[in-house]
Amino acid sequence: MSVRPDNRLADVAMTPLACTACGAGVEVRKSSWDQTSIQWHQDAVDACVERRATTVGAGPNGAAFAGCAALRDSVRAAAVRGDLRVVDEEPLKANPENPEHADDHA
Amino acid sequence: MTATDDVRMIEAEAAPTRYARGWHCLGLERDFADGTPHQVSAFGEKLVVFAGEDGVISVLDAYCRHMGGDLSQGTVKGNEIACPFHDWRWGGDGRCKAIPYARRVPLRARTASWPTLVQDGMLFVWNDPEGNPPPEGVTIPRIAAAEDPEFTDWHWYTVTIDGSNCREIVDNVVDMAHFFYVHFSFPTYFKNVFEGHTATQFMEGIGREDIRPRKPGTNASVGNSSVASYHGPSFMIDDLTYHYEDGMDIPAVLINCHYPIDANSFVLQYGIVVKKMPGLNDEEAAAMAQRMGDFIRIGFEQDVAIWKSKARIDNPLLCEEDGPVYQLRRWYEQFYVDAGKVTREMTDRFEFEIDTTRPNEAWRREVEANLAARDAAANDPADAGQTV
Repeated sequence: MSVRPDNRLADVAMTPLACTACGAGVEVRKSSWDQTSIQWHQDAVDACVERRATTVGAGPNGAAFAGCAALRDSVRAAAVRGDLRVVDEEPLKANPENPEHADDHA
Repeated sequence: MTATDDVRMIEAEAAPTRYARGWHCLGLERDFADGTPHQVSAFGEKLVVFAGEDGVISVLDAYCRHMGGDLSQGTVKGNEIACPFHDWRWGGDGRCKAIPYARRVPLRARTASWPTLVQDGMLFVWNDPEGNPPPEGVTIPRIAAAEDPEFTDWHWYTVTIDGSNCREIVDNVVDMAHFFYVHFSFPTYFKNVFEGHTATQFMEGIGREDIRPRKPGTNASVGNSSVASYHGPSFMIDDLTYHYEDGMDIPAVLINCHYPIDANSFVLQYGIVVKKMPGLNDEEAAAMAQRMGDFIRIGFEQDVAIWKSKARIDNPLLCEEDGPVYQLRRWYEQFYVDAGKVTREMTDRFEFEIDTTRPNEAWRREVEANLAARDAAANDPADAGQTV
């Protein structure tokens, strides 16, 4: 039984990226601003500061680590800078009421 | 017919003939602990499950090594299972302990026995085609709610699925969209994480008013939060909280597990324990667990209907709003190769968070259309007086 490649990766492959917090190297893919795939390897798991700081949570699935916020921010920043391609070409939605985005609509 | 050059072909190898390495739940302990032998068809074999007088539950190959009698048709005598054919007595360790009419037991009178685990009211067996015991650390996490008097007892369901390999149920863990169409959920957040021998699904959902209309004056469920993990190839614990209109949260634990009968059939089991809410007596709390379980059953019954008619597919054609089916199958592969052949690729951490924006827009429109159709039907004079 051999597992085939994901047909979606034929369009846009996973891209190497380093976390800006700990330098952990992972591969990522974003199909939209709100979608992210992250392939970790053991060295990245070992390097991740948030991962190491996490204690086992409550409940039977408490050992599941949902994800690293610093890595999420790194991925998003790379996409905003244009270093990481977002498959869906819709622009990042900005809130026109937010003064931070005032320049976008000037 | 379209020119074949333009057609994407469905590809599928035969289902694997070996069975996954790992702990498999056979059902509730209470259903096996009655002092009689139980026949279980699993892993391509016939097994006998019995509890001795000491209460210890054992799992053996059902066929007596003497003349092939079926031990599951026999009798429990002391802590041994006695064959109905010649009364040979087999212990839980697989060894023949006595032959009442013989001077001594012959050499190498040993049959196959499966390592067992009884935990939180459930019976598990360890399957390993290589015959090794479960490694340290490969276990099933404890479920505090199962032993907690503030929770109900298990409300349990068992269904046999013929004509499908158990990969179909495992695929569910990544299949966000089917939760809307098949299980009547409405996922608003969906993320999978695979790591080591666990595969987790983080899901937030809202209620479907088109499926379960709110009754005036009742406290409706408005959504749920769930963290569901497969611990190994076949046993999923869903740590689930139902959110209600008045702000109340009801914690529950849902089990979704299966064991293979053979390459093309399996037994699906699921069960639920629910926190007894203040003001409910035990009977009312049990009824609530049953209502929740029965709603879940509708979803599983619809899964079964899909599996019965669908094709096995190794090359699903995925859109960007689908989950990580291929990466899940890469993770699942670790249970079907020898322990020494498990690769990093199968166990390395992988995260996949779906963008639910587009699915949610489409589903909101569909729910509204369903509600509008229902209102229109209710106001149709042709329906006046109709009572059924």
